[in-house]
Amino acid sequence: MSEIKAISLFVRPEFENRGIETAVVGDIERRLSVWERVSNMDPVRKFSVLILLVVSWELYTRIGNVNELMFPTFSATAAALVKAFVEEGLLTNIWNSLSLLLTGYVIGIAIAAGLVVLGVWSRFGADLLTTLTAMLNPLPAIALLPLAMIWFGLGSSAIVFTLLHSIIWPVALNTHAGFQSVSETLRMVGQNYGLKGLPYIYKILIPAAFPAILTGLRIGWAFAWRTLIAAELVFGGQVMDTSGQLGNEDSNAGGLGWIIFANQMENQTPYVFAGLFTVIIVGILIENGIFRNIEDRTVRKWGMQKA
Amino acid sequence: MSDKAIDIYIRPEFESGALGTAENVDVERELSLLERISNINAVRKLSILLGLVIIWQFYTWFSGVEPLLFPSFVDSADVLWKTLLNGVMFEKVWISLYVLLLGYAAGLLIAAVFLMLAVSTRIGSDFLSTMTAMFQPLPAISLLPLAMLWFGLGIPSLVFVTIHSVLWAVSLSTHVGFMSVSETLRMVGRNYGLKGVAYILKILVPAAFGSILIGLKVGWAFAWRTLIGAELVFGAAAGEGGLGWMIFEKGDNLDTPYVFAALFMVIVIGLLVENVIFRNIEINTIQKWGLQR
Repeated sequence: MSEIKAISLFVRPEFENRGIETAVVGDIERRLSVWERVSNMDPVRKFSVLILLVVSWELYTRIGNVNELMFPTFSATAAALVKAFVEEGLLTNIWNSLSLLLTGYVIGIAIAAGLVVLGVWSRFGADLLTTLTAMLNPLPAIALLPLAMIWFGLGSSAIVFTLLHSIIWPVALNTHAGFQSVSETLRMVGQNYGLKGLPYIYKILIPAAFPAILTGLRIGWAFAWRTLIAAELVFGGQVMDTSGQLGNEDSNAGGLGWIIFANQMENQTPYVFAGLFTVIIVGILIENGIFRNIEDRTVRKWGMQKA
Repeated sequence: MSDKAIDIYIRPEFESGALGTAENVDVERELSLLERISNINAVRKLSILLGLVIIWQFYTWFSGVEPLLFPSFVDSADVLWKTLLNGVMFEKVWISLYVLLLGYAAGLLIAAVFLMLAVSTRIGSDFLSTMTAMFQPLPAISLLPLAMLWFGLGIPSLVFVTIHSVLWAVSLSTHVGFMSVSETLRMVGRNYGLKGVAYILKILVPAAFGSILIGLKVGWAFAWRTLIGAELVFGAAAGEGGLGWMIFEKGDNLDTPYVFAALFMVIVIGLLVENVIFRNIEINTIQKWGLQR
């Protein structure tokens, strides 16, 4: 007798669907309500987030009974900001910071350009550049400030020196890396046209490596801005240390970092917040006003970078 | 007779003279020892470093520069060696790194919470992008005076500014990375029924790991710079701290060799973190997964 395996199959019982309603086409397309349309606008949503933050700040400081010296209300901060702008020449302080930054930035880029040109021209230059950037890029520029103060004394040349350090290495590093990744085809096109030396760099390497260069410039700016503010804060401390008093108040000598430091020392917390606001605004302006524009006109126009 | 005469230049016939016999020059030849050595990258870079050190040493010997202003290499190396041996340097390094790690970890945690909110709701996303747009351009160090007001002088203030420098850089870059994860990958995740945290961990994080890593690196760079800067400011205001404080204090006392030794340590730590830690993470993740060549 052979074994017979019984396989039990599940047989679904027959059934009949009853009462299927007639098909109705719902609204495939429908006008969004005003509320939906408004809340679909990006700026509206982001602004309301901002306003919400401001309102909760104001309410927290008013209802929470926070010490004015520790955390001023939003209205006090705004009033301080307006007052600082109108009466106390905050613009001069902004200009002091920016002119230092610009000086450092321009000189730094010139030095970085010199190093990179050397790096393109000779293998020794490339080695020198990579060794120097590998060594000095991880070193925070602000750490050089004490040395700079010993070498150049208290003053703008010490700050410019540290700024240089924060700009040269990221710019040189990114530009060099960008140059190295320029495709062989583009290089050969350049050589075919008989380009050599500087024209070769200007007409082939720089346009081809522009996204990397722009990244370098941006990082350089970010580091320089941070270094500048930090340097001004340290100087604030140094002036306190040596002369036992804060800097001359009427002369508007210091930059933004100094404003923040000095006002904190005098417990003028609303002015500290106003100074922070100004730092944010200047940062956003440079970031979105200048770099965004350069990007639009170069890499995006040339189709090297999407949206 | 035709009206137009076309002048055709006909090259006169000529015969090439003695061409000389063809010879096999060395198509392939052994490079000389010097060429072979100078083709090794490490050798060239090390010799540049050596060259710089020698220039430094000779400059300080022969130019008669005041050693208080610019110590010789030998003095700096000597101080570095001594402080390494007696443990002072390690103590300073540990103080700095401890604060940095604390701030970095806390910053990452907060960033993770923000990002989870941003991924799950539109209002969270708006909140995050508004906050990052506002705080990313603000140098963390400028919050130090406020931090000192709120938390007093000490480690909490340092951690606060470090958090601030890490948080926005990481959130910005990660958020952008999440938003550019391709729709296909997202649909795969939904197909598996992934939701919430599992969806983020299994789909978004691996897919956006390249930009997350960039965010982590930028965050580290900012945090390291901010910490050293903050310790310098603290140097001005109070007195206990790590490498930054050492640089400031020794600079103030004109113990310049110590300043150079501390700067050297700062460079070493930076190199270690960038080329050992981050490089390893890169090799074991995005390069292994083929996201980056």
